[in-house]
Amino acid sequence: MVAPLVQFADGGWTYVISIIVVSLKVSLTAVGLSTLFSLPVALLIAFTDFPGKRTVTAIINTGMGFPSVVVGLVVLMALSNSGPFGELGLAFTPEAMIVSQFILATPVLMSVSLSAVEAVGKPVRDAAYAMGGTPVDVGLVVIKEARYGIITAILAGFGRAISEVGSILIVGGNIVFSGGESYTRTLTTAITVEARQGRYEIGLVLGVILLALVFVVNGLGSWIRSKGRGERSA
Amino acid sequence: MTLSATDVSVGFDGQQVLQSVSVDVEPGEVLTVVGPSGTGKTTLLRLLALFRRPESGTITWNDTDLWALSDEERLRFRRRLSMVFQEPSLFNAPVHRNVTYGMRVRRSWSERLATGLREFVGGPSLSDRVETALEVVGLTDKLDQNALSLSGGEAQRVAFARALALDPDVMLLDEPTSNLDPRNTAVLEEAIHSARDRGVGVIVASHDMHQAERLSDRVAFILDGEVVETGPPGRIFESPRDPRTARFVDGELMYEGDEEGGIQATERSPSP
Repeated sequence: MVAPLVQFADGGWTYVISIIVVSLKVSLTAVGLSTLFSLPVALLIAFTDFPGKRTVTAIINTGMGFPSVVVGLVVLMALSNSGPFGELGLAFTPEAMIVSQFILATPVLMSVSLSAVEAVGKPVRDAAYAMGGTPVDVGLVVIKEARYGIITAILAGFGRAISEVGSILIVGGNIVFSGGESYTRTLTTAITVEARQGRYEIGLVLGVILLALVFVVNGLGSWIRSKGRGERSA
Repeated sequence: MTLSATDVSVGFDGQQVLQSVSVDVEPGEVLTVVGPSGTGKTTLLRLLALFRRPESGTITWNDTDLWALSDEERLRFRRRLSMVFQEPSLFNAPVHRNVTYGMRVRRSWSERLATGLREFVGGPSLSDRVETALEVVGLTDKLDQNALSLSGGEAQRVAFARALALDPDVMLLDEPTSNLDPRNTAVLEEAIHSARDRGVGVIVASHDMHQAERLSDRVAFILDGEVVETGPPGRIFESPRDPRTARFVDGELMYEGDEEGGIQATERSPSP
């Protein structure tokens, strides 16, 4: 009888699969919502002139360096029973983790998207308008022209979200059900638990799984971008 | 269906670019706005294409003041115009997607979705208008090629086909042959005449007097943001009434600066 290389906590592979599912569910939802919010805002900032535009851009860029534990603390304060959104009962839930990851991913996504849409020249927008496009049509053309930059923005946002540990530890509570299934434990927070308990080999296995997930998502993004370069030179 | 700019004025950053300019085009007529570079020709075309509202004066379609309409009503008129820019400004997409763009935005969202799905399943579905437009500029073999990989001349011809395919009432062409060799210039000029013969009103902005002579039914000579004189090309170029037109025709006027900056007509220094 060969001993397994690593022995997971209660629940075995069910435990591992459940933390992968929670990790992906939280990060993909946060990045999806952030994309829906960031793209229109980036278009609005890029193509309208308003007082304080440079300050707004500087604030967005600064947001890329938000310390995640501070974000976690503020989100927990807002969602705790005594906070302004306490009635929603979201503290220590996956939804709270989505909120904190949304806040962390949004500046990254918005800043990179902003650069991408700003790079689409005015002549292209003018052409769409002159062909009878409405402002919505012109915005869609800009998104389409900037698609490879926007994919990079989404990947950067996903990278920020999936590798995040500080804020989700605070707002999610790193909870696992008694049967060994994860409620708010993710790959990153699970690694901190394993490291604290001295089970480095399990931590490493979880780390490899996390890296593999990031690799697959980034590989997909690279494939889409390379397809685009192929199109251009066709 | 006369498109007119009447007494329009506009400026940028405190510089007056157009001052009380009036031009109009009838159906089946080619009007060339001719003048040195940087005198406001592009700005005038952009006003006629309803890119911005003039600071004073009106843009009218027959007797309808287009800036007095709601956005939605103005869009209906905007979609009866098409414009070709000096730079082709094509999208990063196959040629057929570029040429069909204007038609697609004229459809409802559900029709667009259905067309998109149809194209996804069975490849491009082109209307006769698109094929005819590409035939006119001799580029049917480039249908599936990415527009950004075309040469400058091919891109300019695709931009023209894109405007032609919309079957517009009025075409606004800003230096439409600036990237073309003589053979393709002739192809495009023939296409412009053919559009005119079908009843399309065409306004061309050009600094090329010879082209203006070949293309136009009327010429408006513009200088320092003002229309100096308007008339048939023969009369304007052979016996101009204004001394400034005469100096331009004789090649004595040159221009410095760009359109939206400080522009001044200056006398060309005599050759040593």
